[in-house]
Amino acid sequence: MNLPGYYEFCCRVKIIAGHDALEKIPDALAYLRARTPMIVSDKGVAGAGLIDIVTSAIKDGVTIGAVADDVTPDSDLQVVHRLARLYREKRCDSLIAVGGGSVMDTAKGVNILISENADDLMKFSGANALKRALKPLIAIPTTAGTGSEVTLVAVVKDHERHLKMAFVSYFLLPDVSVLDSRMTLSLPPAITAATGMDALAHAVEAYTCLAKNPLSDAHALAAINLIGENLVRVTRDPGDKNGRLAMANAATLAGIAFSNSMVGMVHTLGHSAGSVCGVPHGVCMAILLPYGLEYNMHKNGHLTAELLFPLGGAQVYAATPEGERADKVIALVRRINEDLHEASGGRHPRFFREVVDREGKQMVPREKLPEIAKTALSDGSLFYNPEDLDYDDFLMVMETSWEGEPLERRKIKKG
Amino acid sequence: MFSPDRYEFFCPVKTNSGSRALEHLPFELDTMNATKPFVITSQKDARRGLVDVIIDAFKDSGVTIGIFDGAPAAPGMKLIKELFTMYRDGGYDSLIAVGGGAVVDTAKILNIAVSGAPEDIERYAGSDLITKPLKPLVLVPTLSGTGYESSRYACIDTLSFSSCFLMPHLVVIDPRMIVFEDVETTAAASLVTLTHAVEVYTGPEKNPLSDSYAYAAIRFVMENLVSVIRDPRDGKGRLALVNAHNAAGCAFSNSTPGMAHRLGKAVGDACQLSWGLCMGILLPHILERQTSEDGYHIPGLLLPLAGFDVYAETPEHMKVQKAIGILYDFQRDLFEASRGAIVRSLKDAEVPEEMLRDIARKAAGRSSTGFDADVSLMVLEQAWKGK
Ligand SMILES: [Fe+2]
Repeated sequence: MNLPGYYEFCCRVKIIAGHDALEKIPDALAYLRARTPMIVSDKGVAGAGLIDIVTSAIKDGVTIGAVADDVTPDSDLQVVHRLARLYREKRCDSLIAVGGGSVMDTAKGVNILISENADDLMKFSGANALKRALKPLIAIPTTAGTGSEVTLVAVVKDHERHLKMAFVSYFLLPDVSVLDSRMTLSLPPAITAATGMDALAHAVEAYTCLAKNPLSDAHALAAINLIGENLVRVTRDPGDKNGRLAMANAATLAGIAFSNSMVGMVHTLGHSAGSVCGVPHGVCMAILLPYGLEYNMHKNGHLTAELLFPLGGAQVYAATPEGERADKVIALVRRINEDLHEASGGRHPRFFREVVDREGKQMVPREKLPEIAKTALSDGSLFYNPEDLDYDDFLMVMETSWEGEPLERRKIKKG
Repeated sequence: MFSPDRYEFFCPVKTNSGSRALEHLPFELDTMNATKPFVITSQKDARRGLVDVIIDAFKDSGVTIGIFDGAPAAPGMKLIKELFTMYRDGGYDSLIAVGGGAVVDTAKILNIAVSGAPEDIERYAGSDLITKPLKPLVLVPTLSGTGYESSRYACIDTLSFSSCFLMPHLVVIDPRMIVFEDVETTAAASLVTLTHAVEVYTGPEKNPLSDSYAYAAIRFVMENLVSVIRDPRDGKGRLALVNAHNAAGCAFSNSTPGMAHRLGKAVGDACQLSWGLCMGILLPHILERQTSEDGYHIPGLLLPLAGFDVYAETPEHMKVQKAIGILYDFQRDLFEASRGAIVRSLKDAEVPEEMLRDIARKAAGRSSTGFDADVSLMVLEQAWKGK
């Protein structure tokens, strides 16, 4: 087990997992001395009937003070203010966030306003500006991927003033995260695939980048193993309850791993492809993950090689000579992308040129690649990547991952 | 990989480990809204200069700290009441426990008092009776722990307490504090740690979260204990062991104590032996027994015990045997490295054979589930003889 010169590790979120975990929410709230939660969610989640499942699971044990199911796909300051008003009006005493990243961000923003009895969210932005516990917050993720149910960060956008506020504090961690297989059963194959690959990227980057530590490693290994065994399976068979719960566990484990050890260039480029072309985060992760491993190979190939054990299983690991294990991991990640492509009826893209929007229009035209490479230069996540990248390096990775060609090893800089 | 139908997991502990970790303390206290910590330690640790390291870490911070360096090996309620008065009169707002064992028990119980009133303490003895967070508690462990420091457990006099609110908010593992200890002390905490982590990893409440902490703990003990016993100057090994103690304390707090834990304690209490030594002797014998019982996960244990390569090379039907064999080899290696100080059987630990029946009955009487006196006796008899 590697023991770095210095590390920190923390995940204070209580995890309640199971096929009937939602039913435990009233007890969890009582434990937190709350009984009138406000449910925060979005239209997509509500439309899939998930709010109904949550409410019927908890309604006998608590009074649901309010249901706000109109959070925007991008967390928004005005929405945060509106929900805080609703919370106060209905005299709620706690929050239940049901959804993905932006729902969690919004709920965390609301929680700052109502707990601090404040009107100006900006005052609390930055790192460690919060000094005391907030109101009870229960997170119920509806995808198995982002890990935002266990992260201490919130991003709220002020669309009027074109500002992005980031909040970092252990007090932003949800008190409880509830992982219930019913929340992801209806997730379409393409979203299952992309979000699952986001979780894989979290765990793999946590294990192979510079800020790894023994506890994040242990969480990452468990996550990778669960994803290797379950992601393709649940994408093929969405109703597989055990597979769904295993993926929910995996996403949480991966979330804990990366929020305690940071990520690398896969996320660096993923963020910029997301912001320049609007490509969903998970899709970027799926496409870029093998390239990140290839690019860093000369620095961390021994770590990548170890991942063959959790990803491919003990037999594949034993059957592969030590010197070939890292390449085998990269091949396996590409194989998983192929399998997901097939299992989703071609909707899970394998390369950037395959990414299309709802109208079938290509989302990443080749001429956008330079802009993506340029945007990546200013992303902080590169700091923890084993090898450095400049504009030309980013562009090279984008061009090859656009085409779907492997990286040419001799073109990779070795610093 | 095993993914259970349902589980719960909670670990409020933040871990900071490594070079100059103590220097982050003023900042960490600030994030917990604490400005005036009360440090509790033992005379022994104060005498060997460990408190000076703490004082140094606060030097330029502007934070005032109070220090009590007289925690005895067996603290009583009277001491808690005195400390309560000191804490209140000094205007402190948080606690820092430096050391292991009784020092940490004292700090945990004092925390119940200062978060409410000293009269409350008896009321909260038992399981999960504390219902709200206590004052910030920082643990600065040394190698002289018992393996329970970061756990939800504490005891004083005849009272014992179990609550997740007793777990430290922050554990600061600083190499300067992890100084050399004698063989018995070093082995005791690490064998408690190994036993707890193995029982979490193989037990009926196994889940991926507690497994992660247990996995790290088992790997660290297997990779470092023999080498630290052989050569206590192995500073990196000592640091890894304290990391293991911490991780296992977190895992153990999320699971019902297993049979090796209960029987080991019973033997230790009956014969004035260290719990860790007894648990270490009993562990492989109990695992052998559990392989034929429902609800245990023994084959997978080979992974944290031996690592990827051995696990992958070992055929499925050989994994249990291999794992248990490794634990017996480990006992042998510890015996040799300690020049016979860490014994491998209850007989060599000088447990009288005629006491086994009584110990088995007592241990079974204490337990709420799992094993009866007959099974316990069988295991004790095997462990008495040794492998
Ligand atoms: Fe991500």
